[in-house]
Amino acid sequence: MSLAKIFSVSSRVRASGASSLVVRHAQYSTPAQEGKTEKVYPPTAPGFKYVNAEDPNMTMKALTDRAAQTLFWTELARGFAVTLAHIFKEPATINYPFEKGPLSPRFRGEHALRRYPSGEERCIACKLCEAICPAQAITIEAEERKDGSRRTTRYDIDMTKCIYCGFCQEACPVDAIVEGPNFEFSTETHEELLYNKEKLLSNGDKWESEIASNIRADHLYR
Amino acid sequence: MSFLALDKWARLFRIIKQNGGIFKTTYKLWRFDTLKEGTFVGSDMFGNKYYENNFYFFGRNRWVEYHPRFAWEYDATHVTADWYGWLHNKTDNRPCEDCAKYYMNCNEYVNNWLMPFSENLTGTEKAYYPWSTVNHHICVWDGCAMCNRQPKK
Amino acid sequence: MLHINRNCNFVCKSVKQFRQLSIHVPLCGHRWYPDKEYLRQFFGSVMYPTPETDKYFRIIYSSQIRPVERKLKNMWINFGPQHPAAHGVLRLILELDGETVVRADPHIGFLHRATEKLMEYKHYNQSLPFMDRLDYVSTLANEQGFCIAVEKLLNIEVPPRAKAIRVLCAELIRIANHMLNVSGTILDAGGITPFFWMCEEREKLYEMFERLCGARVHCCYLRPGGVAQDIPIGYLDDVYELIHKLGLRFDETEDIATTNRLFYARCAGIGIVSAHDAMSLGFTGPMLRATGVKWDIRICHPYDGYDLYDFEGVVGTFGDIYDRYLLRLEEARQSFRIINQVIDTMPEGEFKTDDSKVCMPSRKEMKTSMESLIHHFKLCSEGYPVPPGFTYTAIEAPKGELGVYMVADGTSKPYRVHLRPCSYTHILGMSVMGPRLMLADITMLIASIDVVFGDVDR
Repeated sequence: MSLAKIFSVSSRVRASGASSLVVRHAQYSTPAQEGKTEKVYPPTAPGFKYVNAEDPNMTMKALTDRAAQTLFWTELARGFAVTLAHIFKEPATINYPFEKGPLSPRFRGEHALRRYPSGEERCIACKLCEAICPAQAITIEAEERKDGSRRTTRYDIDMTKCIYCGFCQEACPVDAIVEGPNFEFSTETHEELLYNKEKLLSNGDKWESEIASNIRADHLYR
Repeated sequence: MSFLALDKWARLFRIIKQNGGIFKTTYKLWRFDTLKEGTFVGSDMFGNKYYENNFYFFGRNRWVEYHPRFAWEYDATHVTADWYGWLHNKTDNRPCEDCAKYYMNCNEYVNNWLMPFSENLTGTEKAYYPWSTVNHHICVWDGCAMCNRQPKK
Repeated sequence: MLHINRNCNFVCKSVKQFRQLSIHVPLCGHRWYPDKEYLRQFFGSVMYPTPETDKYFRIIYSSQIRPVERKLKNMWINFGPQHPAAHGVLRLILELDGETVVRADPHIGFLHRATEKLMEYKHYNQSLPFMDRLDYVSTLANEQGFCIAVEKLLNIEVPPRAKAIRVLCAELIRIANHMLNVSGTILDAGGITPFFWMCEEREKLYEMFERLCGARVHCCYLRPGGVAQDIPIGYLDDVYELIHKLGLRFDETEDIATTNRLFYARCAGIGIVSAHDAMSLGFTGPMLRATGVKWDIRICHPYDGYDLYDFEGVVGTFGDIYDRYLLRLEEARQSFRIINQVIDTMPEGEFKTDDSKVCMPSRKEMKTSMESLIHHFKLCSEGYPVPPGFTYTAIEAPKGELGVYMVADGTSKPYRVHLRPCSYTHILGMSVMGPRLMLADITMLIASIDVVFGDVDR
């Protein structure tokens, strides 16, 4: 193989899969036309660039260089050197629970239902999120409350169905349902991921400071 | 200095000094798998301490040292919501400098309903388990006569 | 110790019984592990010869027994669906003659999710996240194909800034895809190091996508009529910084693999497909261009303003694995060129079309103007009607031509969507390229045709 690479008139001599040598000259040639030696490469085509198309330089110097490369394993040595150099570089890994990777304010993680500063829940049961959810992960039931305001009685999100597309927070006209910044909500069982309204509200109550800070950070684009 | 890698030794000694002796440093290395020096930025409600040193590359430049009472039971979710953004390089503001968070914590209405942060409780007795938040719309016949039936609450 | 164990068992059992009564009991995280008691039953000898056992299974060898005539046939092996080199859930049935493959028969369908059928029941916007999950290595390019198809049906033009952002996204994801593929090819040839480097760089690219839209992989960022949100301030600077340094990693990878004789021997001349075959098999993208056919949809039928940027389509010469590898490396470098031009010429202005019947209003408008709020409710609840018609829209996804054939019947849901995936046609080429190769070359071939099974099975 290497000898073929050094001394071949054309670099297009390569072992084919069937362990016989196939000489290919023009790619447009069908197998019947093999062996035709008209030179068509590299053609000049504006807007296109050819890789691997030049015939190898057949001057004595270039031949010697290639032979030396084969004999002295220079390309292997260079590869090893590049790999070895990385040992002395700083590793790119981070020490996870102590250091954490960067996130942006737009991150779409665990869902949360928010409240107004007065403590009143924002959700007005307009069911836009339920309508737009592509995975149909949201289930809402609503009733009129004693004071006449319309609120949800059931707000369930099946977190195992959810595809975290962020359409629900885009659809919500009152910023009630948001995809919060938290991504560390893995659980041991499936049931724990079937969130109900209380869980979502308590998520919101726990994460409100971070959610509010994210919305503030992204206010220019909203 | 840096040619003979003496600065690395100097850093090691500084780290040992910062951590308070050989044994404490070893303990810290055992717990955290790494030794770093940094400036103390703040601490959260769990007592976790947050450090920063921009000498390390982006992503490693901020870290948390979990409170000793967690020992080896530390969890990534021990980082509270207040410090979450800072640790994830979302913002350079500490919680006390972030006006959204500042407002949250100063507003007494909000303080009435803000919940203390809790870790991910899965696998423990206190883990969340779903229940239905709605009242039953359909009353199942319990075998009694209509007049004897108690109204469902 | 024993006491505690028994106690534990008791707790487990009672919890189990209790769970049968009512499902409202958490698992409590209790687990049973093999204890000493349990292991004891496996100690000691199990069976030993006795005079009794000597009576059984006695075979008397003598020259009187005639050898059994055996019928020989080629060995068939099942490659996958859980093979690590199968790049997903490819089940490949190989008929071997010694170590040479005589027949390669790809079986697909392990990841079928009926995306096309699902799309018939979703609004146009709702189908968008599904496009991410087709070719999950080049997510944004899929979204681009879908968005352009819907825009063609709606007959709307997106503003130049949105086009530039889309080109930026598509080229970034092209780099990510080619990084994975190139390093995966090297990995399958036996060099694991570049794979780690490229994973590191890909992670940085994914962080960039995360800044754009909030998700690393399944972005859901483009929308028919523009993009979801404007790019953050300072984003282009960071992209430039990243792209600037990315070339170094490509140089290092090339240092390791390109001239390496081991890699060359594993790649060169293997998996050759002629231009004629490639075209008749329906190959597109790098697979077709590696055979020397000058077909790049970005150049031949420019979309999203690709004609504004100066770049070259990359064409290979032989159509073997080595050429595809070189071509993908070079194509990623051309993507750097495009991205640099996009950064230089990013136009100001709107990032989505101002047709409020199609695009959601901004949140500020939605909260202040009644009209926008009505539009918002309409768009979220029933989407937008698309005039009747059909379109076949093709874009140059990193893996090849991604075609979206869409028939609209005037409602807000498509009547029929057909997705023409690139990996699907390429995997069919396995049965043409596979035979006459050695068994070990099959993994290289799978790597170089760049299949992703989300794309094949839809």
